[in-house]
Amino acid sequence: MKLARWTAGLLAGLSMLAVAAQADAGEVRVTVAEYSSKTGPYFEEVKKEFEAANPGTTLKFEIVPWDVLLQKLTTDITAGTNADLSIIGTRWLIDFVQQGVAEPLDQYLTPDFKGRFIETFLSPSIMEGKTYGLPIAASARAMYYNKELFDKAGIANPPATWVELQEDARKIKANGAFGYGIQGKEIETDVYYYYGMWSFGTEILNKDGTSGLSTPGALEAAKLYKSMIDEGLTQPGVTSMNREDVMALFKQGKVGMMITAPFMMNQIKEEAPTLKYGVAAIPAGPTGARGTYGVTDSIIMFKNSKNKEEAWKLLDFLFSTEQRAKFTQNEGLLPVNKEEAKMDYYTKDAGLAAFTALLPEARFAPVIPGWEEIAQITSDAVQKIYLGQGEPEATLKDAAAKANGVLKK
Amino acid sequence: MHNRALPYLLILPSLFLAAVVIFWPVYDLVQISTHDVSRFGQLRDFSGLANFTALAGDPDFMAALWRTGLWTLSVVAGALILSIPVAMILNSDFYGRSLARVIILLPWAVSLTMTAVVWRWALNGESGMLNSALTGLGIIDQNIQWLASAGTAFPMQVLIGILVTVPFTVTIFLGGLSSIPDDLYEAAALEGASAWQQFRTITLPLLKPFINIAIVLNMIYVFNSFPIIWVMTQGGPANSTDILVTYLYKLAFRVGKLGEASAVSLVMFAILLVFTMIYVRLAMREREA
Repeated sequence: MKLARWTAGLLAGLSMLAVAAQADAGEVRVTVAEYSSKTGPYFEEVKKEFEAANPGTTLKFEIVPWDVLLQKLTTDITAGTNADLSIIGTRWLIDFVQQGVAEPLDQYLTPDFKGRFIETFLSPSIMEGKTYGLPIAASARAMYYNKELFDKAGIANPPATWVELQEDARKIKANGAFGYGIQGKEIETDVYYYYGMWSFGTEILNKDGTSGLSTPGALEAAKLYKSMIDEGLTQPGVTSMNREDVMALFKQGKVGMMITAPFMMNQIKEEAPTLKYGVAAIPAGPTGARGTYGVTDSIIMFKNSKNKEEAWKLLDFLFSTEQRAKFTQNEGLLPVNKEEAKMDYYTKDAGLAAFTALLPEARFAPVIPGWEEIAQITSDAVQKIYLGQGEPEATLKDAAAKANGVLKK
Repeated sequence: MHNRALPYLLILPSLFLAAVVIFWPVYDLVQISTHDVSRFGQLRDFSGLANFTALAGDPDFMAALWRTGLWTLSVVAGALILSIPVAMILNSDFYGRSLARVIILLPWAVSLTMTAVVWRWALNGESGMLNSALTGLGIIDQNIQWLASAGTAFPMQVLIGILVTVPFTVTIFLGGLSSIPDDLYEAAALEGASAWQQFRTITLPLLKPFINIAIVLNMIYVFNSFPIIWVMTQGGPANSTDILVTYLYKLAFRVGKLGEASAVSLVMFAILLVFTMIYVRLAMREREA
């Protein structure tokens, strides 16, 4: 079996070399993350339109599922066969910049071009004064609530605080549904816990740059979630549910409240059009503090690209208002382009407006090397607490110590 | 002199092939694991055994190591115990035998990842088939959250591991059984040997070389098997179902520690190598005796 694996690896390696050798002058290769089934067709369109307008340039899009994107980029870069442009999670950008893989874009960026973006979304891609990526996708999180379940339980408004949320969850539970859906598995398990943590005034990193996990706010949030799990106010089996699983429960009308991204609105439209739901802010803590998670994905240019001029032309095309609107609305994301944000599609939609209203409180993943490892440490700790395998206080202290070890490097 | 060099010359081509597909990657792994490595595989300073000592000090790695042993042993033993009777039944003559053979071997044709995905759905706590079947049969009155903790998730993964290992093992045994001449059984039956005696003194000893092959191949295969555990739990919750391969994958591609990941992979390679050598030795000595 080992042998077979290596043979396969070798063949794959050789074929990658062959592909690299073929890349001729006018070809721009782009690695694209697959956001949904609509991503591929959209970039097919882009290819057609762009090639028609720019004869002599050919585009090649490699559509890669999110789960394996980082793995593909790592192996491609190691082998020197990476594309010219790639979409990456902005939280990975620091690694790319520190390793000298990403090309700064400032020589191409005119003030006019820079002005197309909403500040909040462009700033995470700027490091040490240089712009290394352009935000191709942006998203934030807000609370969805099931209006029917709320009516049945006699609740008039979505909860404004976590205390109200607990009470509402109890009422919903009394009517036979799950009150508050908690995600406890796979990507963003840590983020689901941060919603609580931010409300108790704790940030991921303290002001002195150490991990926030050992602060009282972090403990309060962990106790809050754990008590809700123990009281049966959440769906059962929290640690077996990833984000999609909880979203599925919400779409089936089995969960009263959950926090997730704007793209669930598109999904509900298609999969559960009769579901009555609303979108509200994330509940606040005792001091009124609260935070939502903001995410951007950046498109970056590789330093070793041989067709930078053509690649930039493609970026210019992709970030035109018209192209942006098509992409963003397809995928159910938030607009990153100022002109685009003014379109009726975004301003007239109550749900999307709720998301945009939360943006001033958005926290982005901290720009530090080793962030993925800290996220993993936090997810593991949170899972232990949810399962009751570790006392919240000791588990968080332990996780904070591990995270600080990573931060020191 | 000429004659002595000839055999070496003859094995040269295959040696060259082995060098390209085995020695070169292993050499590369040794390089990576003894250096400080960037997340994109660029080697920096030589760091000696630092990556290995980091692993030895990681409780998650040690737990994954033990769990890999448990996983391999239970899946291989389970598949073995299940496969012998299945192969014997499929070897006997009955109406619809070819259909039964196809059904048993069918899971082999389905990709492991797909099998795991289907099981992940089936084990879903709220809408999974297993829970609704058990509720329908009146066995449980409350949904079991199969994948929520290692206590239920890991045994299920072992069961699925056994299920997908059976077809291959049965195939090997069927080959073995068809090589046992029928006259042996006829003679034994004439002497009044019971079915159990026939099995113990004829079938089992003659099947032994095939059992040995099945053990070695399955050990190597199951030890390295990634999809079942990855798809169902990604080694979670909190690393409690991790085996070495899933741990390695997270280390390399989530966290970006290529050096430590290469060290894990060398440890795995060494374990398998030692195991295979010991086992081949034992099996050969037995044959000589």
